[in-house]
Amino acid sequence: MTWWSTLFAVSPLVVVALGALLLMLAEALGRPAPAADGAVVTDVGSGRAGELGIGSAVVLFAGGVFALSLWMVGPEALPGAEGLAPYFIVDRFSAFFGVMLCLGGGLSALLGGGYLDEHGIDRSEFFPLLLWATLGAMALAGAGDLLTLFVALETMSIGVYAMVGLRRNGRAIEAALKYFLLGGFAGALTLFGAALLYGATGHTDLAGIGASVGTIGQPGSTVPAGLVLVAMALVVSGLLFKVAAVPFHMWTPDAYEGAPTPATTFMAVAVKCAAFAILLRVLFGAFADERVASWGTGWPPVLAVLAVATMTVGNLIAGRQESVKRMLAYSSIAHAGYALLGVVAAMRSGMGQASVLFYLLAYTVSTVGAFGALILCGRRGAEAVSYEDLAGIGRRHPVVALAFSLFLVSLAGIPATAGFFGKLGVFLAAIDAELYVLAVVGLLNSFLGAYYYLRVLVYMYMREPSPNAPRAVPMRSGQVGVAIAVAALLVVWWGLFPLSIGADVTAAGSAPMAR
Amino acid sequence: MSLVAHYLPLLLVFLVAAAICATFWLGGALVGRKNPTAEKLMPYECGNDTEGGRGIRLHVKFYLTAILFVVFDVEAVFIYPWAVLFKGLGWVGFASMSAFIVALLVALIYVWKKGALEWET
Repeated sequence: MTWWSTLFAVSPLVVVALGALLLMLAEALGRPAPAADGAVVTDVGSGRAGELGIGSAVVLFAGGVFALSLWMVGPEALPGAEGLAPYFIVDRFSAFFGVMLCLGGGLSALLGGGYLDEHGIDRSEFFPLLLWATLGAMALAGAGDLLTLFVALETMSIGVYAMVGLRRNGRAIEAALKYFLLGGFAGALTLFGAALLYGATGHTDLAGIGASVGTIGQPGSTVPAGLVLVAMALVVSGLLFKVAAVPFHMWTPDAYEGAPTPATTFMAVAVKCAAFAILLRVLFGAFADERVASWGTGWPPVLAVLAVATMTVGNLIAGRQESVKRMLAYSSIAHAGYALLGVVAAMRSGMGQASVLFYLLAYTVSTVGAFGALILCGRRGAEAVSYEDLAGIGRRHPVVALAFSLFLVSLAGIPATAGFFGKLGVFLAAIDAELYVLAVVGLLNSFLGAYYYLRVLVYMYMREPSPNAPRAVPMRSGQVGVAIAVAALLVVWWGLFPLSIGADVTAAGSAPMAR
Repeated sequence: MSLVAHYLPLLLVFLVAAAICATFWLGGALVGRKNPTAEKLMPYECGNDTEGGRGIRLHVKFYLTAILFVVFDVEAVFIYPWAVLFKGLGWVGFASMSAFIVALLVALIYVWKKGALEWET
């Protein structure tokens, strides 16, 4: 019965899609919205967001469980999985990202349930959008064909554009418009590159493109090398936009700041991880040949420069921010730089891909936790955004302050947290690939990053709010609390026992390597 | 270059088409007799005199209607090729199209319940 095994192979996506449809119906047919005359701001959140948040989280965790069971069974043992290739590739890589994206999306949904109710944003279409965007992200991680790549990329992006503009204030609209216009432009770049690639090689599947690119320079080859290089630059630029790498990072701080914090979390976590997944697939599926991927020519030197620029620019500007949310936005740019370092290292080191995967996993849980803690630090009308708002949180809300500290320490890469081993893996991969300069630059950068993460701790524990400042009273929310607890547990677990998933990460990382 | 040789016929078609258009248009403009009267120069709109300027503002609701039209019209575009190949696709094709239509149905219910189909609000 290959039919059943095919269904099982795509079950994580099917579960999320069915859940999204059900949630759409539940949202439309459920209790009517309080008033349609623009009076969205009520004293008490209607509670709908809370229910839908739990519903979405359940759906996404169910999707994650299916992805996990797919991992347990082993995608290579499924007879029906082959039939989906090259449009959708079912391997350990996509199963791994299925779990990671469902985790990030599910935790973001929990944050959303708490946040939207607290801030009186009665726009529960947030949750169906989040589910569809997660579906797009999961499809993107499994895309083995330029067509699937583009459709999945847009499915993911369009949902996120709407999530960014959920609040109807000037800043949110500016954020959504910037992200939409630049994102549309980046999507067009990717599509144009894909068209050129098809013209140059006659293939839309990554494996076929890889085989064609491999024939460049051999007698009888009809593949124009220049066209392939241009197409590669275009496709990769579009993807680098989604991971917010310098010089495609300009939209990030505005979009992250203007979006509701759960949407920011989702962008920082799921969108970035899925974009890295497809970046790895494209680079190592289609452009792994010596002619476009050696240290002298092709993408590795370019990406190495971009990785260094990304982490340095991200860290330097993050240190100058007065808004914690903007600081986390720039920090997410810097983290994209570290992960790019791992991507470059993967060119020559067998552990490079695994290091990127572990890095993204550690980054996912740390970032969700940090944004979740930031949500808990403010309440309706007094969202905690600046460092000043956090003054004295250590005394008034000790548990949240402790959790926030843990996640920031993990983002900074201090030992006994998942973030430390994420950075360690990337730097070790760089050393293994004999990219010593890059490893040193990365190391120096992580010292730079520690400054602004620890600055939050200083404000939380050592500063008192100025007497006439509006006191931000922390909110309480069970959902956000659960999300933070799950994230904290994983940060500590992977920080103490990183080897517990070491073999899995290696297995997932080596899956799409054609070489 | 083989690429140029490959697309040369296409280029020729473009050139010939452009030449024919230019010939007819220029021929009419240069050779034809012109005898303009006030009625002939009037912009034609259902036989009536046009009213108001061209820069009128359209209600934003048209935007929603247009979007919905595009969304649900794409459905028909996908169903046509599917219907042509229906026998060859078998039950898998039937199941795929059913899933697609169910998803669109859910979208329709959503749009309906959200009040997007009501003009008078």
